[in-house]
Amino acid sequence: MTERLDGRQDPPALKLAGGSSPGPAETPRTRLRLGPSPAVAIAFLLPAALLLGIWVVYPIVYSIFRSLFDASGSGFVGLGNYMTIFTDQGMLTTIRNNLIWVVVAPIIVTMLGLVFAVLTERIKWATAFKLIVFMPMAVSLMAAGVIFRLVYEENPDKGLANAVLTTFSDTFASSQGYPEARPREGDQSPVADQDGAVVTKQPAQAGQPVLIPIVGVKPEIMPANAQPAQAAGAGAGVSGTVWFDFTQGGGGQSNVVDGTEKGLPGMTVEAVGPDGQVAATATTAENGTFAFDGLAAGTYTVRLPQSNFEASYGGLSWLGPTLITPAIIGAFVWVWAGFAMVLLAAGLAAIPRDALEAARIDGATEWQVFRKITVPLLSPVLLVVFVTMIINTLKVFDLVFIIAPASVQPQANVVALEMWRVAFGGGNNQGLGSALSIFLLILVLPFMIMNIRRFRRGES
Amino acid sequence: MRKGSAAAILAGLAVAVAACGNAPTTTEPSASGSAAASSAAKPLQGVKLEVAAKWTGAEQKNFEQVLKAFSEKTGAEVTYASTGEDTGAYLGPRIQGQNPPDVAILPQPGLVAQYVEQNALKPLTPEVVQEVDTNYTPYWKDLGSVDGKVYGVLVKAAHKSLVWYRSQAFDDAGVQAPTNWDELVKAAQTIADSGTPPFSFCGASGWTLTDLFENVYLSTAGPENYDKLSKHEIPWTDPSVATALEKIQQIASKAEFLVDGTSGTMQTDFPTCVTKVYGTDKAAMVIEADFVAVEADQAGAKVGEEAKYFPFPKAGDTTPVVLGGDVAVAMKDSPGAMALVQFLASKEGGEVWAKLPGYLSPNKNVSPDNYPDELTKQLGQTIVSAGDAVRYDMSDLAPSAFGGTDGKGEWKVLQDFLRDPSDVKGAQEALEAEAKKAWK
Amino acid sequence: MTTATAQVASGLESGTPRRGILSRIVDRLGSGAVQVIMVLLGLFWMVPTLGLLVVSLRTNKVNGAEGWWTIFTKPAELTIQNYANLLGSGFTTSFWNTVMITVPTTVLVIGIAAMAGYAFAWMDFPGRDAGFLVVVGLLIVPIQIALIPIAALYGNTGIFGSIPGVVLFHVAFGLPFAIFLLRNFFVGIPASLLEAARMDGASEWKIFVSVVFPLGKPAIASLGIFQFLWVWNDMLIALVFANTGNQPMTKYLQSQMRQFGSNVDILSSGAFLSLIIPLVLFFAFQRYFVQGMMAGSVK
Repeated sequence: MTERLDGRQDPPALKLAGGSSPGPAETPRTRLRLGPSPAVAIAFLLPAALLLGIWVVYPIVYSIFRSLFDASGSGFVGLGNYMTIFTDQGMLTTIRNNLIWVVVAPIIVTMLGLVFAVLTERIKWATAFKLIVFMPMAVSLMAAGVIFRLVYEENPDKGLANAVLTTFSDTFASSQGYPEARPREGDQSPVADQDGAVVTKQPAQAGQPVLIPIVGVKPEIMPANAQPAQAAGAGAGVSGTVWFDFTQGGGGQSNVVDGTEKGLPGMTVEAVGPDGQVAATATTAENGTFAFDGLAAGTYTVRLPQSNFEASYGGLSWLGPTLITPAIIGAFVWVWAGFAMVLLAAGLAAIPRDALEAARIDGATEWQVFRKITVPLLSPVLLVVFVTMIINTLKVFDLVFIIAPASVQPQANVVALEMWRVAFGGGNNQGLGSALSIFLLILVLPFMIMNIRRFRRGES
Repeated sequence: MRKGSAAAILAGLAVAVAACGNAPTTTEPSASGSAAASSAAKPLQGVKLEVAAKWTGAEQKNFEQVLKAFSEKTGAEVTYASTGEDTGAYLGPRIQGQNPPDVAILPQPGLVAQYVEQNALKPLTPEVVQEVDTNYTPYWKDLGSVDGKVYGVLVKAAHKSLVWYRSQAFDDAGVQAPTNWDELVKAAQTIADSGTPPFSFCGASGWTLTDLFENVYLSTAGPENYDKLSKHEIPWTDPSVATALEKIQQIASKAEFLVDGTSGTMQTDFPTCVTKVYGTDKAAMVIEADFVAVEADQAGAKVGEEAKYFPFPKAGDTTPVVLGGDVAVAMKDSPGAMALVQFLASKEGGEVWAKLPGYLSPNKNVSPDNYPDELTKQLGQTIVSAGDAVRYDMSDLAPSAFGGTDGKGEWKVLQDFLRDPSDVKGAQEALEAEAKKAWK
Repeated sequence: MTTATAQVASGLESGTPRRGILSRIVDRLGSGAVQVIMVLLGLFWMVPTLGLLVVSLRTNKVNGAEGWWTIFTKPAELTIQNYANLLGSGFTTSFWNTVMITVPTTVLVIGIAAMAGYAFAWMDFPGRDAGFLVVVGLLIVPIQIALIPIAALYGNTGIFGSIPGVVLFHVAFGLPFAIFLLRNFFVGIPASLLEAARMDGASEWKIFVSVVFPLGKPAIASLGIFQFLWVWNDMLIALVFANTGNQPMTKYLQSQMRQFGSNVDILSSGAFLSLIIPLVLFFAFQRYFVQGMMAGSVK
């Protein structure tokens, strides 16, 4: 939670949400002539001042100096460390990722929070709903990371995200084929791979059984009803056998139907004429044999179309290099949507109904009311939520560190994490680390100034 | 290895070994009536020491047995701190905070030079160095030395030129253990044809990929080039590197060779890739060091029956033997720290450890008879004899930013290469760029 | 806009029967559709955590083979073995370390910030407003900035790696928010109460302890729960400043993360144990939690 409700980041929410305090209209300073001497005030402030001075203010100064020196701290490098930040390939990826975070995450969180806030006004169990959505705020980002690591597991048998995706796709197109099965490599095989389909190299002749040996059939996809393969009888038409050409334990002859090898039932077989048209279709039997009925005489190639080998949809590589940042942003949204929802729901409830009713009486449509009245009135709260999210995305650390597997950490990297890694992991480059922390501070500086301005405006 | 059940198994093994009568660790100090009498002979009574190493689970329990033997001998109280996998990240802040452990066991000799540069290590005292001279060949001694000064002792070795396989998968496909690279590729093809993906790579653990590369490189380019590349005296864009990467390409670029495909491979960490061979029986081979035995045993495969290995096949003219190891260093200049390092370097300490599973000693005076099984005995002999073509793990000798950090240097580039094995030249250039940064 | 305060006070319990315009737009979707969507969304938010719970209650072997949702067909596979294994391991120590870090931090932050907040609210001294603006500015300083300098400082003073070192770091970075929150609350205390006390000749300390502090209870409760959760859930500070012997749960679990695949048993059960206390606190004090979040804010 350091990353989110943390004092270092959350306060802007409180702050920006409105500068004025819930106190009395008159500020106390105008009437406090009766107060104690400044010495007493200093005594009350001393512990806080000491702590803030040593742990927060001094480090800023120290870091600025340290960032101008090299790894060991002995050699002055000027702005060299800052140059590194903007030239190193890995660093540029890191900055790019931060950019994606800042652009995407706050918008999604704010929009989602608004939608939730609107929708909760419509249900009786709003309290329960809000509690559920708000709950992740209490959980550590470490635990949230573990939770989402499980969700994003690639294997659809284990990872929830892909389990849902594959269930959906299976409802529309189920595959009972032979994924990953293929013809044996090399010149001896009578069949070859052609754009995913398997075709015979020689035209099939009536009366001469076609052999279609297939290898790489995984035990788990071998149908239970498969029988030992048999050579097709030398009948009148085109016929043949599709079988798993691998003798358990080795020793079988390649491209020959050996005794124990099994047929591949349920395979769709097509006879393709010289014009490229499918002339006939057949399905293999339990022993792998097939025959084309009523096929006109001629030369045909026999083809096992690609549909036989299509793997069932396996879902997405959430934790792969391309999707890792969106996936982590997903976890971030899960954590933060509740925060946005609660603030925005309070804001919505505070909108005066009279203004809305008046507009409605004047004939404004609901959409116009929403655009022209609700959103402007809600804009201070929207801004609070939005800015808080920007600051949080700039500082995001735990989620990336925990969710991204070691092999995709470089692709998922962000500035806050890179600072820790550079300074304390492996290289111990405190110079570059200091430069990165100053860089991070500069990134949040505009919001710091904005905070102070808003506060002053609110107070006056 | 981090699992309780495995710990229980191994602890059980340890007890069984101890019960054979030659392990000093079974003596409970409280139960021994001679405790008071012997205290006079305990020079470090009351001294507290902290030792940090990466081991957890069963490996940690084993190491703690060794520490216990040290405590009983000297009276010092030793606490063990686990650094987790990333020893550099653990020690970094502690060095910075001037609060290092007394003794650390570094997983890479490359870290020794790095820490010496940061003045974080203390040179070993003459007594300890003498102990090292007695027990180690110069080759092993040099690995712990920087500029002629001895800072560290190799206390645990690993034999990294092994290919572990599931015998059932080989039987089903009717293949034999290959003896050279072409046979390996051919066997892999046959196994793939039989319906089992032949290889389980640990793509998420970068160090396993460097181990693979080092074996192939040592074999194809020979020991001399290996030494040069280790010191970055030849660039990574050298044609010899291309040859090695092309060999790896042969086994990495075929989808049917990799269990769970490329994407799944890249998310598989070290012990999980072993489980894919021995636990869930999905793949046939995993290329990693002797310590796979511990994981295989934990996954329920009997080592020597179901879980077998063959030496890394020759991919060129040299039969590769790549070794790895852990280096004990003193981070504080105290008599206690030195005594502990000395104990770990001694015949006595090594023999306590050797009786426990999952350990190989680089100490030439530790008799192979101490090892719990035949297989370990053979490996142990290879390590001590360390012949001409035996080389130390190259990435472990490199600066850790290049050879030992997640998401950086060689780890990252080889992971990228495994993800897209078609671009040998691009990988070489990326490696050279990273190496230039690390060696400066 | 005074309704805001009322709404804020009601926290998560949205009791407002009023229906906004937005809700009327939604009306067009039909009430039934909204109900269904909300149920789905609610499930969507809950399911990942449920998944963690189920995974933590199954052995690695089972988890390695199938997804946790198969539990609905095979409830017999549940076991508390993973939790039993955690007892007596490094996790137990780390749990107590978390407590040892969190409780003192929370107490110190409240005490120190209340004093400062009172001074900023009700005492007159030169530079008061500027000083408070500094506090406002410090609100969003990233923790990262202090890691390197404070590591060096702790090294020189010998408290590196210790629990007090971690606590002090947390306290310092918790203060800006705490001072901000409490000052804004204390400003709202009726001046007459303080004036009366001062007329009576009570010392500032006495006023602070017996008037301001008790009156500030709601804000202090909000702050307390926030502070407790932040520190309880922190990983970064622990990662740098806590030694193995003093490490909290987050750091302990992080060290198991590299081998996620084979450590799912430890990680899932550990993560679940680590989030139980925050969840209990959250449900027990959610009203304060939300108030804290919005205190003195929504205009």
